Amino acid sequence: MFSYRELDRYKRQMMLFGEEGQERLKKAHIFIAGAGGLGSPVSIYLAVAGVGTITIVDMDVVDLTNLNRQILHFDRDVGKKKTASAEEKLRELNPDIKINAIDVRIEESNAVKLIGKADGIVDAMDNYPTRYLLNDVAIAKEIPLFHGGIRGFYGQATTIIPGKTPCLKCIFPKAPPKEVFPVVGVTPGIIGTIQANEVIKYLLGSGDLLTGRLFIWDGMQAHSEEICVERNPACEACSGMITKKTPARKKK
Amino acid sequence: MQWHDNKENTSEEEEVTVKIRFFARFRELLGTDIVTDVAAGTMFTPLIMTTTRKNPAGYAAIFDENGEFHEFVILMKNGKRIEISDAVKTPVADGDEIAVFPPVAGG
Repeated sequence: MFSYRELDRYKRQMMLFGEEGQERLKKAHIFIAGAGGLGSPVSIYLAVAGVGTITIVDMDVVDLTNLNRQILHFDRDVGKKKTASAEEKLRELNPDIKINAIDVRIEESNAVKLIGKADGIVDAMDNYPTRYLLNDVAIAKEIPLFHGGIRGFYGQATTIIPGKTPCLKCIFPKAPPKEVFPVVGVTPGIIGTIQANEVIKYLLGSGDLLTGRLFIWDGMQAHSEEICVERNPACEACSGMITKKTPARKKK
Repeated sequence: MQWHDNKENTSEEEEVTVKIRFFARFRELLGTDIVTDVAAGTMFTPLIMTTTRKNPAGYAAIFDENGEFHEFVILMKNGKRIEISDAVKTPVADGDEIAVFPPVAGG
């Protein structure tokens, strides 16, 4: 049931998917790995959309060099834990949802427990080793992984449904070298918003997800395209999973 | 390895036209779309090598010092993945669209 306040807050989107759709968002728990460039727009849009429980994890402190893109964090937050800053902003954006902000490094030893009973994982990380770990947990728990990655004016996104779509390792078997990547804030803004849009559609159980498709954005050319991606039958991460014929969807 | 650069082609040899598309950092270094004529039967790897060789930074972004693709490079032919290990024995055909890209890692 919704309070009068919630009914007003979500009025304009309930015109799209009704109280039933809103209820699905409210019941959902989404895990966001990272409160940086991608994690900022993802968490902001999921919070204002009314995703009932958001867990956001980051181990960093806000640095001045983050502020060109990490819009969850303000100038006054420099030196503060990203999780503290994120929690404060997300609570102010929507006091009607639950925010768990956890200040920890996501590692093999804690990933399964951190993600817990979340309905989906948003990949808002800045490195492949942690992404592969999230991919493994998504496969083990059979929950979706909403992947995003950016560099400069370029971005990529895809939605991974374990057992149905290629996993992250099928698409990117080897990590690119680590670097201090150049970036302008609009790029994670675009890609993070696409990831949040995917999460909302997945939770609602409607629309066509970016499944089996790698979305590629070139901001310099203002051009997007997609590449079909397929499961690798020899994938070291997901080849053991049986292919599912029907799309996995969140149960009512 | 038997292959031909388009400039080495004689007119009697059959030529095919392929389009090579680079993405992300590869695009910054090498340009967006490259349309090139090559001898029929040219394999994937020498095609990309020839195309990038004139641009040392672009070449180095895609190939290592042994002339092998960097292991993270993604190759696609008409939307289908080509494994790096197969690229040297995969011929290109007329009208093929080839995509070469790196995963982007930032977040």
